Amino acid sequence: MTRKISAITLLSIAAFTAGVAGSAEGPDARWWSPGDGATLPQLATYANPFGEAAILNTGGPVVTKGHPFFEPIGENGRACVTCHQPANAMSISVDMIRRRWEETNGKDPLFAPVDGMNCPHLPPEDPKSHSLLLDRGLFRIFLPWPPRAPDGSTIDPEFTLEVVRDPTGCNTHPIYGLKSANPTVSVYRRPRPVANMKYVTHQGFGVYAFIGKSGLPASRDPETGKPSGMNLLSDARHPTLATQAADAAATHLQLKGRLEGARLKGIVDFEKQLFAAQTRHVGAGDLMEENGPAGLGVLNLAKGREGVLGNNTTSFVIPMGDSWKKLPEAQDAATQARNRMRESIARGHDVFMFRTFWIKDAMHLNTVGLGNPTKRTCATCHGMHMMGMDVANGWMDIGTTNLPWAREEPLNPWNDRKPELPLFRITCKPGVPPHPFLGRVFYTQDPGRALISGKCNEVGTIVMQQLRGLAARAPYFSNGSAASLREMVDFYDRRFNIGYTDREREDLINFLSAL
Amino acid sequence: MKPLPIVGLVALCMSQWAAAAPPAPGSHLSFVSCPIVRDTKTVPCWLAEHEGETYFLTLQTDVSAPVNPPWLGHKVLVEGVVSDEPGICGGVVLKPVALSVMQELDASCNTILPAEDRYELTFEPPRPPGPSRGRLAFGGFAPPGSLPDDTDFTADRRFTLQYEFDGMVGFRHAPTLQQILDFATQAKARELRIVGYRAASRLSNGQTMIEREDIERERAEQIRELLKGAGLTQVRYRLEWKDVAASADGKDDAANRRAEVLVLSGRKR
Repeated sequence: MTRKISAITLLSIAAFTAGVAGSAEGPDARWWSPGDGATLPQLATYANPFGEAAILNTGGPVVTKGHPFFEPIGENGRACVTCHQPANAMSISVDMIRRRWEETNGKDPLFAPVDGMNCPHLPPEDPKSHSLLLDRGLFRIFLPWPPRAPDGSTIDPEFTLEVVRDPTGCNTHPIYGLKSANPTVSVYRRPRPVANMKYVTHQGFGVYAFIGKSGLPASRDPETGKPSGMNLLSDARHPTLATQAADAAATHLQLKGRLEGARLKGIVDFEKQLFAAQTRHVGAGDLMEENGPAGLGVLNLAKGREGVLGNNTTSFVIPMGDSWKKLPEAQDAATQARNRMRESIARGHDVFMFRTFWIKDAMHLNTVGLGNPTKRTCATCHGMHMMGMDVANGWMDIGTTNLPWAREEPLNPWNDRKPELPLFRITCKPGVPPHPFLGRVFYTQDPGRALISGKCNEVGTIVMQQLRGLAARAPYFSNGSAASLREMVDFYDRRFNIGYTDREREDLINFLSAL
Repeated sequence: MKPLPIVGLVALCMSQWAAAAPPAPGSHLSFVSCPIVRDTKTVPCWLAEHEGETYFLTLQTDVSAPVNPPWLGHKVLVEGVVSDEPGICGGVVLKPVALSVMQELDASCNTILPAEDRYELTFEPPRPPGPSRGRLAFGGFAPPGSLPDDTDFTADRRFTLQYEFDGMVGFRHAPTLQQILDFATQAKARELRIVGYRAASRLSNGQTMIEREDIERERAEQIRELLKGAGLTQVRYRLEWKDVAASADGKDDAANRRAEVLVLSGRKR
């Protein structure tokens, strides 16, 4: 049984954290193994390159022994926690993955052939077989092609899918590939953080029976019939935490049979209780100070209003207030440095919120009434209050997986590196409008939502992620193509020709690292 | 080449000048052209050129705007009425105006003009280019259950969906579909009658653009499938489709691109 965290409890945690650096869990980026059995404290903080992020469990401390989130469920020895580590804001960083490889010589269930290898037919002892996981933190997502509707019927896709490049060998493999007995497409994606779910699964503004960006029906909760915001996964293929958990158990954890009943409920209840955010910053210090910015820290996050559009100057996306805008000169160097970093974070917020640029050729952004291009800011898309994800159904194509914008290995006689990701040629079928910005024939590393919807104009659309706990879970984007916050910001700078100054870039990175 | 005589030059200039004069207010204009973006110190303007004249189409606002800006990279079908309002951003105002993004890509449509002091807006735009100042986007969009409180669920009700040229359901239709769903549910509807239309646009140059064949049937069928997909499965759907392309007159053509949904209330007294 869980209990709601009270204001008094939050205050006591705040007082506790104000007085002690770290917590009972300690600041190390500790690995949680399935069946670990330890108790997860109500507030657990973990070190990351930008300071510390915390996991707050509003239900109180969790005895993980026997808990379905923490115990192996399927045949490969994994638990949910394997890929959703508390130290990584309930995702998993590539640094953590590499460390685990070193510690276990690649024997940890994390590296299970089913999706922890580039393809299951490869030799499991060879780190090259796990290169996408070890280099980019990517797991194999294998989906039926053509796609299937929730009722099991086959969807006739609006486009053909041709494998142009198959460095993992999986898409052309006779057992695992597109021409196998069970035609399957393999793409490679990052695990999303399992925290802050009251926001991710909200039923507030923007979640309607018909998707506001396309007019198509939203998927619905099979239990309640309510429409879903469809923001859980990068391709929006699951409407609820329960359907996602059941599918993850069957695929990633290789459970024979169905996850249901008390175990399923235990996982979902636990996920709903978790909040993750940066709580201490290497430069700015404590992010949970009394009278600090209302958008920072895990306690404020737990208290926030879900389902609220923040792309306005009443709610804000990440409310920062004015307290860090202009801080006094300090006598001691440490306080002075801390104040300057706080001012930088406040400026970075303003870059995020108010720095306009031309957003162009982004499917499900420029096509939804804003015009192409539209002169807007980061907060236009990253508009959900307290989270910075989309408040409505959030898949868009900004070019992270579609060419010409997706990161590709430069091919030339002086470069020994080879492309790591598959490449598909997409051809929109006759009778279907061409992709509005890419035409009838184009290329992608991951068709994203289109692998579920079959829509040509949704090729490469990816559900936007939350921005909380970023410092704890590099790399970024669904295909791990940005190794750092700097690379992530640089992608946008290049993609939209923003022209950030050095100071704007630095401020924005500092802001993002404090979330 | 033999030079034109001076008289001939004057006559040519006068004819050019005559051609460049904007049509009188109240004139209907329909043309296909590349949209043009002009930046300002606030939000950008959307313009288009036709027969030597520049027309103002709309401003960037947000998704709830009555007229949404077109797309660079595509031509746009402009169907509007010349207004006597003062020009905006150097363009003669078309109001009302309907804009249809042409589906095929056209790389020649790529003009973004820089801001110039002489074209700055003389009024406060509905929202700034960044975050809104309190007013929410989607302001005109209907959330679930947004039918008016005094909605009579015991009477039949008709809904109309307007389309862009050759267009199917898109983001603008979500609120109307939501209203149909809500009304049908609360009215315990037993039957929905859907009529899809195919239309044409009579251009100012005398040509006529006709929507693609069979789109009237596809529009009706799509609405049925979307409503069923949203859970409205316990009703009977009766579908019709009509081709009204022949009625294009260059005035009300945009309004003909539509589908009508008549929801028959199951709670009739």
